[in-house]
Amino acid sequence: MSTFFLIIIGSVFVNNFVLNQFLGICPFIGVSRKTETALGMGFAVIFVMAIASVFTYIVNQYILVPLGLDGFMQTIAFILIIAALVQSVEIIIKKFSPSLYSALGVYLPLITTNCAVLGVALLNITKAYVLWQAFFNGIFAGVGFTIAIVLLAGIREGMKRADIPENFKGFPITLIAAAIMSMAFGAFSGMFGL
Amino acid sequence: MNCTIYLLAVVNMPLYAKILIPAGILFVLGAIFAAVLSFLSKRFTVEQDPRVEEVNNLLSGANCGGCGYAGCAAFAIALVDGKADLGSCSATSKENKDKIAEVLGTVNCCEDFIYVVACNGGNSCSDKYTYQGYGDCRSMELLASGSKACPVGCMGMGSCVDACARHAAVVNNKTGHADIVQEKCVKCGLCAKACPKGLIVKIPSDAKVYVACKSHEKGKDVRAVCKGGCIACSICVKNCPHGAISIIDNLAVIDYSKCTGCSICAEKCPSKCIIKR
Repeated sequence: MSTFFLIIIGSVFVNNFVLNQFLGICPFIGVSRKTETALGMGFAVIFVMAIASVFTYIVNQYILVPLGLDGFMQTIAFILIIAALVQSVEIIIKKFSPSLYSALGVYLPLITTNCAVLGVALLNITKAYVLWQAFFNGIFAGVGFTIAIVLLAGIREGMKRADIPENFKGFPITLIAAAIMSMAFGAFSGMFGL
Repeated sequence: MNCTIYLLAVVNMPLYAKILIPAGILFVLGAIFAAVLSFLSKRFTVEQDPRVEEVNNLLSGANCGGCGYAGCAAFAIALVDGKADLGSCSATSKENKDKIAEVLGTVNCCEDFIYVVACNGGNSCSDKYTYQGYGDCRSMELLASGSKACPVGCMGMGSCVDACARHAAVVNNKTGHADIVQEKCVKCGLCAKACPKGLIVKIPSDAKVYVACKSHEKGKDVRAVCKGGCIACSICVKNCPHGAISIIDNLAVIDYSKCTGCSICAEKCPSKCIIKR
């Protein structure tokens, strides 16, 4: 049970994918204009990460490792799995929520190349998790991503009303805000020896 | 079960197998995902009206935004949904609009037209005051309806020039009033919306002549401020062999259904405000 909580705390706060490991920065900056779309993106990433963790784990454990191929086949096999998953998520979202689909825009297919998803799949293997641990690590890595992106979206919505010098408007001030957030999350580092 | 898989271990295989087995695994994985994806795309397909694509291909593709929609693709969707009117697109040619109307099952009511500037004044129209301010017709209009003595005269400050993305609207320094360069014009209508006097008007594209004045003042009052304005002298009405011109409210109006383009009116007009294209 303690492993379970350590995975939660570890992947949400201590090793937050965006703010402490700097993975998945592209959608973090790109889709954080509005809280709603950020939340939508977050849920899409949680979903993809959770499923991808399971699938990549299975493929790695039962196909690649027995054949001794896990050294060089991991990346390409995982990318293949993630791409297929993202594509199916895209089809499903397009069917059930056209507004979310158009709001996410190009960033939805970009989850495919989101290094956070590949990162969680590879880290599951590196940390030698078993299947359920990998599954929860995937979910809560996604939750960490969602927390980070929703927080940034909230900050950006607040900053719209702030009197910001002309040359800092838009992306510069967003990057500064992201950097300060990252420093704040840095306070978690090393907690529980994670 | 693991034993059988371990038998396949690649380590002791000959080289070709070392290459073929990973490739085969990827192929099988890819095939499985392809099957799943094709099933999903069938199962969750989003019905899009096939007419949207057809209409979109027939639209001009200028993406000028003149219709009020975000580009031609959005306009095509609105057209198929019946929310938009084909007439609000000015960039698409008449033949294509007819084809679109056929696709949609509606009647194309829209004439093919061009934009012209209905003012011949400019430098030949006198000034009420000397304007020193921001170079825009709309801000000038706020100051006693502009500096021109004629209430509907082109002020030549170039709001239409600023509005036009294609550099088709120009203000000629020699004449002092705006002109539309027809070769560059895509008929988006943004200039017509920008002109505070509403001087940029549509005429049928096959029209040979047009009245370049919008003043409904009496002839004497027009003559007092502008050498190029319509003074409602009725010379054009008398000389037109087809009876296409009439004077309505002190202004010559051409009925294009009767006009044959003989251009006699343009020659006879004393203030040269009927212009031959």
